[in-house]
Amino acid sequence: MPRWRSVWLVARREIIERGRSRGFVLSVAFTTLLVIGSILLPTVLFRDDGITPVGVVDPAPAGLTEALVATGTQFGSEIEVSAFPDADAAATALEADAVDAVVSVPPDLSGPGTIQFADEADDALAQLVSQAVIGLRVQAVLAEAGVDPVALAAAQDAPAVDALDPREEGDEARFLIANIGAVLILIGIFSFGFTVLTGVVEEKQSRVVEVVLSTVRARDLLMGKVLGIGILGLVQLLVFVLAGLAAVTLSGGVELPATTPGAVLLLTVWFILGYALYSTALGFLGALASRMEEASNASTPVTTIAMVSYFVAIFAVVNDPSGIVAVVATFIPPAAPFVVPLRAAFDAITPIELVLSIAVTVVAIWGLFVVGARVYAGAVLQTAGRMKIRDAWRSAGE
Amino acid sequence: MLEIDDLAKRYGPVVALDGASFTATPGRIVGFLGPNGAGKTTTMRCIFGLARPDRGTVRWKGQPVDRQARLGFGYMPEQRGLYPRMRVGEQLEYFAQQHGLSGRDASAAATRWLERMGLGDRAKSKLEELSHGNQQRIQLAVALAHDPALLVLDEPFSGLDPIGIGTMRDVIHERAAAGVGVIFSSHQLDLVEDVCEDVVIIARGRIVAAGPIDALKARSGRRHLDVEVVGDGGAWLSGWPDLTILSRDGDRAKVLVGIDIDLERLLASARAAGEVRRFAYEPPKLSELFMEAVAESAPREAVA
Repeated sequence: MPRWRSVWLVARREIIERGRSRGFVLSVAFTTLLVIGSILLPTVLFRDDGITPVGVVDPAPAGLTEALVATGTQFGSEIEVSAFPDADAAATALEADAVDAVVSVPPDLSGPGTIQFADEADDALAQLVSQAVIGLRVQAVLAEAGVDPVALAAAQDAPAVDALDPREEGDEARFLIANIGAVLILIGIFSFGFTVLTGVVEEKQSRVVEVVLSTVRARDLLMGKVLGIGILGLVQLLVFVLAGLAAVTLSGGVELPATTPGAVLLLTVWFILGYALYSTALGFLGALASRMEEASNASTPVTTIAMVSYFVAIFAVVNDPSGIVAVVATFIPPAAPFVVPLRAAFDAITPIELVLSIAVTVVAIWGLFVVGARVYAGAVLQTAGRMKIRDAWRSAGE
Repeated sequence: MLEIDDLAKRYGPVVALDGASFTATPGRIVGFLGPNGAGKTTTMRCIFGLARPDRGTVRWKGQPVDRQARLGFGYMPEQRGLYPRMRVGEQLEYFAQQHGLSGRDASAAATRWLERMGLGDRAKSKLEELSHGNQQRIQLAVALAHDPALLVLDEPFSGLDPIGIGTMRDVIHERAAAGVGVIFSSHQLDLVEDVCEDVVIIARGRIVAAGPIDALKARSGRRHLDVEVVGDGGAWLSGWPDLTILSRDGDRAKVLVGIDIDLERLLASARAAGEVRRFAYEPPKLSELFMEAVAESAPREAVA
């Protein structure tokens, strides 16, 4: 029987057994709902179409409506003015949430008037309305004093706003995608890498491993396990990503940058590489243990490395995506899965660096697998206590 | 034919195997006997490549055993174990496929063996939902579903109730009749005597006796005599200094005699003492042969 069939049978068993377990189905459903909900809910609850309705009590000074709309434009918000015959009608509309604020100014501009809110004052809106009313009143006073209305209007132009290094459209979305990507990779490594670890310990504990290894090579068993559980992890990742993208598109809140498909592809590649590296390490560390508690102890160095890599990525690399820390971490296999997608999201990695880092990581995975499979073969049948890596290596020596 | 040739294996300071050799032939049932720690499980693990011998080889049909050959073997380890939460039908299918059966053949074999074990209606049950005895049946079915040419069973009878023992014995006989070579280890020597023709006795990593049970018995220098002479109280036996009296109960005595004893004269002497109601002359039991073989192999100081 060809070896690939043996590997595939192991992988298929993992996919079927774990894929239909209630735990897996529920966790995928739950997290997907979470992803969709966290994106859609804010836009549903706080629907913001960009128009601010403001009520004005008649009789109102001439030009108030125009002044409100003009000041609104200056502040980047669209003001929609509706007039009410008296203060009571305006208050009713305010209570019914038909307008955000009610402005009441004496028609002769003899006083500043009032701005009324339903419950809490919106400072920005209050300031906007205030400026419009103050402008009208200052204009009236100066016109009376004989000032040229054209020069006066020109004097009220706002200064132009500019930035030295303007943020590109979609920068925020990129940053968000990069960060979500790093978190997804971390979660993927921890949840599915640990599934490999517990799977190995369970097989050892239930002693089924002796029956399995009487026909399946230890290396093929480890490979099939990593493969099968990895496919489940990938399915879960893709469900997340698709749900997230769908939710973002539906809500229309954030515009997706044109680089999104590339980012998702890169994320998937590094998810696979990161998972393969860490789950292989966790798999053979699991074989050294004979009980679950020992396995979690044995896995501590690996989880520490993963956490350190993650924090290096989200602090040092985000801070300076082209800095020396970022470049060095790109070529350290345990750190690369977190660092590279972030750097790519900021356009701070060259294609050569990208290809090289993938190559270095693949070589590291292969090396770890060869060493790991031999340790696994030597350790997995020893059921008395925790084994040293060196003893396991010797015991499986060919 | 399976040949175990000069296997040696150390675990640190512990010698597990020290040059063990024996063979298992198709259609024959070999009882593999030995005290705890004698090397039985290590030998079986060497057959399946689960332990790597320091010296010696295991050959199948004249060739060193490789993975391809092992696919045709069935194994039931001493430490029973299957996937607890996997459905038993799928479990049988999975292992049959790992032994090289196609999906369809594996499925058919799983159904057939579940029926054979009387568990046809439990195919969809998880293993952990079955009773201990039924789990043992599944374990046996896993070893058999791919129709192996060699069956290696480590303590197959331990933990079974009399019905389970019956099923196990039937299956072993049936497989042997179909031309399968069977090796099984056991401490229940009466059962072994009942089930198999050949035995191999291992002690301290070496084979100390091997062959058909009848031949081993015939080769033994001792015989049992169970004799009862009415009214004598066993007094007539004092005329025979060469024999060892094992037990005495009124007129009845159990005696150990050498194989060279003159049976005619012995019987005549008993008749002279009174009415002979019982006179049974038998070879030793397997358990005695076992004790003898193991004791003889022990270092001298340990015997003293």
